[in-house]
Amino acid sequence: MDVFLQQVVNGLTLGSIYALIALGYTMVYGIIQLINFAHGEIFAAGGYLGVITLSFLQARGVLEHHPILGLALAFFLAMVYCAFMAVALERIAYRPLRGASRLSLLLSALGMSIFFSNGMMLCQGVYDKAYPHFFVSGGFHLGGVVITQMQIFIMVGSILLMVALNLFVNRTRLGKAMRSTAQDRVMSAILGINADKTIVTTFVIGASLAAAAGVMVGLYYGSVRFDMGFIPGIKAFAAAVLGGIGNLTGAMLGGMIIGMVEIFAAGYLASEYKDVFAFVILILVLYFRPTGIMGMQVDDTRV
Amino acid sequence: MKSLRVLLIMMVVCGLAAYPGLAAAKTLKIGSMSPLTGQYAADGNDIRQGVETAIAMWEKKGGVPGYDKIKYYPQDSACDGKQAVSSANKLVNLEVAGVIGAYCSSATIPASDVLNDAKIVMLTPASTNEKVTERGFKYMFRVCGRDDDQSKAAAKFLINRLKIKTVAIVDDKTTYTQGLADNLEKALGGKVKVVAREHINQGDKDFSGVLTKIKALDPDVLYMSLYNPEGNLMAIQAKRLGLRATLMSEDAVYHPNYLKIAKEAGEGTYFTFGQPPSKSIPEVKAFLDAYTAKYGEPGSYSSYAYDAANILLSAIAKVGADDPDKLAEAIRATKMQGASKFITFDEKGDSGSTYKVLVVKGGKFVPFWDPETGKDF
Repeated sequence: MDVFLQQVVNGLTLGSIYALIALGYTMVYGIIQLINFAHGEIFAAGGYLGVITLSFLQARGVLEHHPILGLALAFFLAMVYCAFMAVALERIAYRPLRGASRLSLLLSALGMSIFFSNGMMLCQGVYDKAYPHFFVSGGFHLGGVVITQMQIFIMVGSILLMVALNLFVNRTRLGKAMRSTAQDRVMSAILGINADKTIVTTFVIGASLAAAAGVMVGLYYGSVRFDMGFIPGIKAFAAAVLGGIGNLTGAMLGGMIIGMVEIFAAGYLASEYKDVFAFVILILVLYFRPTGIMGMQVDDTRV
Repeated sequence: MKSLRVLLIMMVVCGLAAYPGLAAAKTLKIGSMSPLTGQYAADGNDIRQGVETAIAMWEKKGGVPGYDKIKYYPQDSACDGKQAVSSANKLVNLEVAGVIGAYCSSATIPASDVLNDAKIVMLTPASTNEKVTERGFKYMFRVCGRDDDQSKAAAKFLINRLKIKTVAIVDDKTTYTQGLADNLEKALGGKVKVVAREHINQGDKDFSGVLTKIKALDPDVLYMSLYNPEGNLMAIQAKRLGLRATLMSEDAVYHPNYLKIAKEAGEGTYFTFGQPPSKSIPEVKAFLDAYTAKYGEPGSYSSYAYDAANILLSAIAKVGADDPDKLAEAIRATKMQGASKFITFDEKGDSGSTYKVLVVKGGKFVPFWDPETGKDF
């Protein structure tokens, strides 16, 4: 039983991270029908900005006295930086191609992904960068189950961010503009909604969430590397498709399912095939529900 | 725009003018293969830098006799068989005199097929899988140790020194890691019970699922037959999950990065690695000084790559690079003190293994146990 509960905790942690990244994929897809392949690299850049900020603060001795403040600053800077990165990405690689075929956009996205990944390798080096350690350790035992502070932090943090996003999309004017642009860009433009501004907002929000996930991953696993965005990017993309691409609740659910399946496959079946199981679930769901789990009720929550 | 075009034309003309001048000079071409991008880029760049250090030192001494300059072509083999074969073909087309590389055994083995057919000598600084030299290739040499020796050293240590009862082994299903894990299981010969043989994928970050499973089996030792990036992360996660097991690993996880990333979670981890030579040997000191001045602290395989390049260049200095058979003979006859060990080759092209057990203590790798004498250092 202990083993089972431990695996649930492991799965929820991994799932929360996938869910946060998946939100960015799903939002951008919802609004301009583009799979933003560079999203995984934005996530990695967030991780790097976190390690840069925290190492700087640690070198100054600030981190010892104000760990919470330092952490908040790291998250804030990473999210702001990645938001700017996403604005630039949209401006340089996607906006000039608006109206072009979707294939060109997709290729542009793939190109930007490779560009960012190699750019990070060139300016940050090929070696792993270690996060300051005292966030990584610490935890408590509940019976035979170990829950670390970071796991709680990731789960709670992800849930808070997701609730905030849902409130934003459903309760604010900008959120309403996003929903309407997603449904019908031309009609909302006629009604006076600035499509470009709305699209940029979507990119900014998606990138900030990915940046937060990047810092969390760095803190949790203890290090970041330039190519760390690729595999989680693919998994989160799968999560977004599984949940019904374009659907926010679906992306969260999809992330959790992929994370859980992976951990349970590793724990009870064969760990080398855990990715296979995750994708088998994806294929099965798409076979019976081509639009994904939440794909049918797109109208309200689609962004 | 017009000036740009003029500039372009000028560049092309100048380039053409410069080309015959270059071709007239006799250039020695050396290639290397290692993962320069991707997740094993750290070790791959250590190898490139080791070769560069050797070449720089030869150039400082006035170059290789008979050649005006040395041209170095580092190739990215990405720890991938397919890419290694295409790098090997590229080096064949460039007509290099010899190749240092590759890093992962799964890249070295297919690449060596291509190079051996083209009669180009290949010296691997880091591929320890036995098959690398077991195929009887005339032009294939190995500067590092062999996995059958490494696994025997590890098994001896687990049985005789740690005297444990159970071990869990994790590998990532590549030629090197899986080969080593199989060898270890064989070498343990049932004296230590293998309670789990788990596999992960290259590039994984989260091992909590498989580690939770291993924790329930409660082995005395967790043997990580992995590469460095995954090994670092597994050490952290194993300690965080509260595994009681002592950690042990091998030459591919052995890297200064392990100390930096795993930090206190890595304390007490045992490693098998070739015996680090004494720093008082002049050849070792010369390497350390030259390397550190330019690139900082050497990685695990920097010194092996440096030695491989030196062996190749010394042999070329003796017999030239025109006759591959003579060159291979000259390499086989090598007897020199290198930066990694004293190097001689046997008929297979192996240079012998010097595996010792090291332990992480106080954030450093410290020699711990000698498998030959069975005593602590």
